[in-house]
Amino acid sequence: MGQFGATTATNGADGTARKEPRRFLNPHDGCWHTQIMQGEAYVTTDGSEVLTTILGSCVAACIRDPALRLGGMNHFLLPDGDNRDGGGMRYGVYAMEKLINGILSRGGVRERLEAKLFGGANVMASLSDVGSRNADFAERFLQNEGIAVVGGDLRGTSPRRIQYWPVSGRARQLAIVTDAGKLVQDELREARAEQRESEQESDVELF
Amino acid sequence: MPAATKLSVMVVDDQLTMRSLVRSSLQQLGINDVREYAGGAEALASLNARVANVVISDFNMPGMDGIQLLQAIRAQPQYKSTAFILLTGRADKELVIRAVKAGANNYLVKPFTAAILKQKIEQVVGALT
Repeated sequence: MGQFGATTATNGADGTARKEPRRFLNPHDGCWHTQIMQGEAYVTTDGSEVLTTILGSCVAACIRDPALRLGGMNHFLLPDGDNRDGGGMRYGVYAMEKLINGILSRGGVRERLEAKLFGGANVMASLSDVGSRNADFAERFLQNEGIAVVGGDLRGTSPRRIQYWPVSGRARQLAIVTDAGKLVQDELREARAEQRESEQESDVELF
Repeated sequence: MPAATKLSVMVVDDQLTMRSLVRSSLQQLGINDVREYAGGAEALASLNARVANVVISDFNMPGMDGIQLLQAIRAQPQYKSTAFILLTGRADKELVIRAVKAGANNYLVKPFTAAILKQKIEQVVGALT
């Protein structure tokens, strides 16, 4: 239980600088609890591991291959984008790709994958479409890629805490009491920071 | 200086959404001759039928991956003028070095903007008109 060898952040698989996941052994349930932060994707085959995240307008995709009993979660928010350039959509595509590639690289089969989607809440009236835009993207992406959606909960107006057991496919959603406005502002700030970092990195010249 | 409208580009990625994004970015640059493939083997078969000026390929694909596709292309002298750009994840420098050794002309770090795509294409084929 809880061997790092059985659990791998997909960040490393596609070359992104690997960050050690935030995880701890919960003495109450005997499970490893791994927190998935915005911009991360994580895959596990450990049946005793639960992936957790807190979502405002962000979306988390929980995807698994039920035959191999492996799966994982990502957590993303599309930055405000320039629509002439695919908008922020490319960041969402990348987040989904990191997760899916993490599963496929461990033997998962694309045709067997099933997904649950959570998040995308419109928690602030002044940012009414942020959550919906992310929820719409996630649904459209999975439809395009032919990945079945078997559950989850998108949109609404309240932040959520998600728990997901990738090996069994079980997911649980909990309402949380938090400053929803601050949560979404933090999410947007993080998405813009990731966008800036990514654009700088694209300029690295090896040629 | 090549005319964008005369360029033929192949996009190889197992994710339809990523292929669509690359295609729409290419179309913004005036490149309309774009062929999409979900895997290396079918891309290679298509290249044998009609050569392309530029191949933009993902690395992570089931079956033939991006480096294997690159090696197969470079093994055939008739494709020596076909430029190859590898799509990589962020900070994947080891993969980029492998790709360069195998004959890649450039690489693109995902997620990328249309402006960066244009810059990379111009580096391999010259300024677009």
